[in-house]
This record gives sequence, structure tokens and C-alpha cells, in this order.
Amino acid sequence: MLSLAHLDKVYGNGAHALDDVSLDVEAGEIVALVGGSGCGKTTLLRLVSGLEAPTHGTVSVDGEAIAAPHPAVGIVFQEPRLLPWLTVAQNIGFGLDHLPASERRDLVEEALLKVGLAGYGPRWPRELSGGQAQRVSIVRALVTKPKVLLMDEPFSALDALTRATLQDHLLALWEASQPTLLLVTHDVEEAAALADRAVVMQPRPGRIFADIAVPLPRPRDRLSPGFVEAKRAILGALDGSLSQIPGATGGKPAEMSAGSWW
Amino acid sequence: MSEIQTLDLQTKRNARASTRAASSRLGGGFVYGLILPVAAALLYEAAFRAGLVQARLLPPPSRIAETLWKLAASGELLTHVIATLLRVGLGFGLGAVVGVLLGALTGSSSLARRLLDPTLQALRAIPSLAWVPLFILWLGIFEPSKIALIAVGCFFPVYLGVMGAIANVDRKIVEVGRAFRLSRLMLARRILLPAILPDTIVALRSGLGLGFMFVVAAEIMGASEGLGYLLVDGQQLGKPDQILAAILCFAILGKAADWLILVATRPLLSWQDSFARSG
Repeated sequence: MLSLAHLDKVYGNGAHALDDVSLDVEAGEIVALVGGSGCGKTTLLRLVSGLEAPTHGTVSVDGEAIAAPHPAVGIVFQEPRLLPWLTVAQNIGFGLDHLPASERRDLVEEALLKVGLAGYGPRWPRELSGGQAQRVSIVRALVTKPKVLLMDEPFSALDALTRATLQDHLLALWEASQPTLLLVTHDVEEAAALADRAVVMQPRPGRIFADIAVPLPRPRDRLSPGFVEAKRAILGALDGSLSQIPGATGGKPAEMSAGSWW
Repeated sequence: MSEIQTLDLQTKRNARASTRAASSRLGGGFVYGLILPVAAALLYEAAFRAGLVQARLLPPPSRIAETLWKLAASGELLTHVIATLLRVGLGFGLGAVVGVLLGALTGSSSLARRLLDPTLQALRAIPSLAWVPLFILWLGIFEPSKIALIAVGCFFPVYLGVMGAIANVDRKIVEVGRAFRLSRLMLARRILLPAILPDTIVALRSGLGLGFMFVVAAEIMGASEGLGYLLVDGQQLGKPDQILAAILCFAILGKAADWLILVATRPLLSWQDSFARSG
């Protein structure tokens, strides 16, 4: 459904951010991109969003190439990035400009209700807490009903408790329309809590190191043995990706599944 | 749900409390601001009445008020005020419009910035008053040369402010617009314009302040009406009360014009975190 083929990204300053990254994601699948800093996971997300163009390779959604921001792809940034001069409701409706006002209002009301912020529509973004603002930014991306939702470490700036709550919120939101979800994170727990698959990346240049299935039913119990196992698998791959000498493996992704990775 | 409602109530209460604090702060600030000048005026008046000071060069407040009242009653003051305001209005309008346009151009296009900005910066380095002889040669000694001087004075802060505001727009916010596939025009209208508004208003306020500065210069150099003329006239005829009356008018007009910009733009900036403090 979402298909990345042989993506290469070299920045103008010569930094080699991505080297031959290929990844196929099925419709409705949740994939976590995990990796240390500088492994190109954010770059990868920006290529998929169309905000940046790859040096080589293609991104396509349902066979349609993505070269610029596309209506089928929504993005949630690391910071909420709400427009401070728009109310919460106007922020959520930002991408619905083409709809008649009444329809837009209904969609926004529904969205606010879904993230537990009913009645917050007329507020200014500055009146929201960090967690509330990020919830608004998530529904701002979801309200246009994208087929693919990209998230760039959306909860990394929040405290652990808020983060766990928002992860549950996110799953509930995802449940409703089941978009394909590509989530960048450096938080192994987050990957295990949300993802069907954790793709571990390796830095300098950014490559896929391991592709780990997390075949756990939802809702997931964060204390269950399976969950702990999945976390350990991802963590192990992450350690492996960082201890390898850069360039030595040639960027071949290793196929692994939970429990049999080491 | 109930949790959210409690939260809601709490926020509302906080909001109300902060509004109350802001209004009392504003009102209180107004009163506090008056204490010093009013006390000084009363003290001086009392000293004058008691015969403690010679008031030939510094007339007491009562005499300034009397002069002001006489000027106002004869209709003369209105003529001068209107003349001055017209000059400031026209000069500021001209300078601000050109400043906003050129600032927007150099701010948004790096080619335009490389072409225009060095020249404009060089022109900025020239003290605006140095243009006066040239403007008088070109435009004559009447209104056009005065308005040109004021326009030049107002232009630079507005130009610099708008250019800087555009350069400082957060790339991350612009990216939101790009992610939602806004056209260049819509990006300018829905993202850039609101983002630069606060800085632009500050630039306009400082431009207007300079406008009042340069109107005095223009009127002192030769005018038959205007508050600046009252200043010169007061000096030549030895009427310090008239000079002080004119200065008082400048203070009131300048403050009122600035306040007008503030009030006119307040609804546009209610979203700002820092607005209460800057007001």
C-alpha cells in the first residue's frame, strides 16, 4: 500500500542521510521506525510526506508516486505546530478549507469530542497543555482522512504518564479509520505498545537494520511476558544497530521475529 | 468527561482571574503613571504661588493651561494640530506603505534582498535631516518637502521591521502550510501574514513615533502653521508658555496616535501570549 523503493537521500552539505531504504507497509498496518539519533528516520518520514524529495528512489501510496505533499498522506510533527493565531477549532479545520462551513464545523466538533477536548474549540493554542496541543495536532492531521498518517516522535516531549495516555488515545483514533501509520520513535516501549512491526534503523548512512514483527493482540498489557519480550527484541536490535561498524553490513536488512532475534 | 469538565472550570476560573489581574494592572498602571507628573506640576505651582520661583522662563502649569485654553478657544490650536496631523498622516502613510511593500519584497525573495537591501541600508546610514536641502530644492519649501522628509523618516523602521519579521517566521509553521498543500498565495495569506503581524505592528508604531519627530524638524525649518511653528514662534517672541503648550500637545497627540494603533490592532493580536504585557 505504502511502498518505499530504494530511497537514497544525500543533503546539499554532503550528509548521507539514507542509503537504499526499501520498505513495504500494508494498508492499516502500524509500523514504528526505531533508531538512534542520526539514523535518518526523520528524513525517511519527510520523504514519505513529500516535504523533501529523495535523491534516488520513489515513494508511492497505492501505486501513486509521492513527489510533493499529497492529500493521502497526513503528518504529525514532533512539536504540535499549532498556528497560534487560530483557535483550537480553526486549527483542526485548517486542512478542511475546501468544505462548506457547516460540514467543517461538524467534523471539527466530532474530532474534538474524540480526543476528549469537547468545548475547547474557541480556546487559543497557548491555553492548552503540551499533551492537549499534541492531541489537537493529531486530529488536525486525521480529520482530512489521510490513507497514511506519519508521526515524527509525536510524544517525545511529554512526560511518561501523558505519553502512555496519548498512546492509548492514538490507538483509539486509529481504530476508527485505520489509516496506515508510520511512526518514528526512539522509545522502545512506544514501539512495542503501538506497532505491528518495528523497523530498526542504523546510522551513517541511514539504513534498515532489522524488521521485527510484534504479533501481540490489542489492547496490549504492558506487563505481559509477550510485551516484555517484544521490547527486549527491539532493544536488542537497536543495540546491535549501534554497535555495528558503519558500512560493514552493506545495509542488508536482517529478517527477525520476536523472540528469535539473537 | 467529568474530569474534563473540572479541568474546564478550572481553566475558565484561571482565565477570569488573569483578565482581572490584567485590567487592574492596566488601570493601576495608568494611575501610577500620573502620580509623578501631577505631583511635580502641583509642587511647582505651589512654589510659584508662594513666590519661591521666578517663572519667567518656566511658567507654572496654570499659565500653560491658560495659554492652551486661549489657543484652543480662538480656534488657532485646532488649525495647528490639523496641519501637523495631516503632515504626519501623509508622510507616515507614504513611508509605511512603501516600507511594508519593500520589506515584504526583500523579506520574501532573496534575489530582491541581494539587489535592494545593500542600497537601502546605505541610504539608511544617511541622517534623514541631511535630505532637507535637497528636498527643498526639488519639492519647494511648502508641504511636499515636509511630507517627503517625514516619509523617509517613517520608511526605515517599517522596512526593517517587516523584512525582519518575514525572515523570522518559524520554518516549522511554514512547513505545516506546505504539508496541507497551500499554494504560494494561500501560504502568504494564511501563514505568513498572521505570523508577521505582531512585528509589523511594532514596526509601524516605531515608524509613527519617528513621524512625530520629523514633523517637528520639518516645521521648525519653516512653516506658517503647525505645532512646530508654535514652538518657533514661542521662541522668537519669548513665550515659553506657548512652547510648553505645544510640547504638551505633541506628547498627547503622539501618545494618542500610538494608542490608536494599539487599540485598532488589539483584536487581531488577542491570540498572543505576550499581549497583555506589551499593551
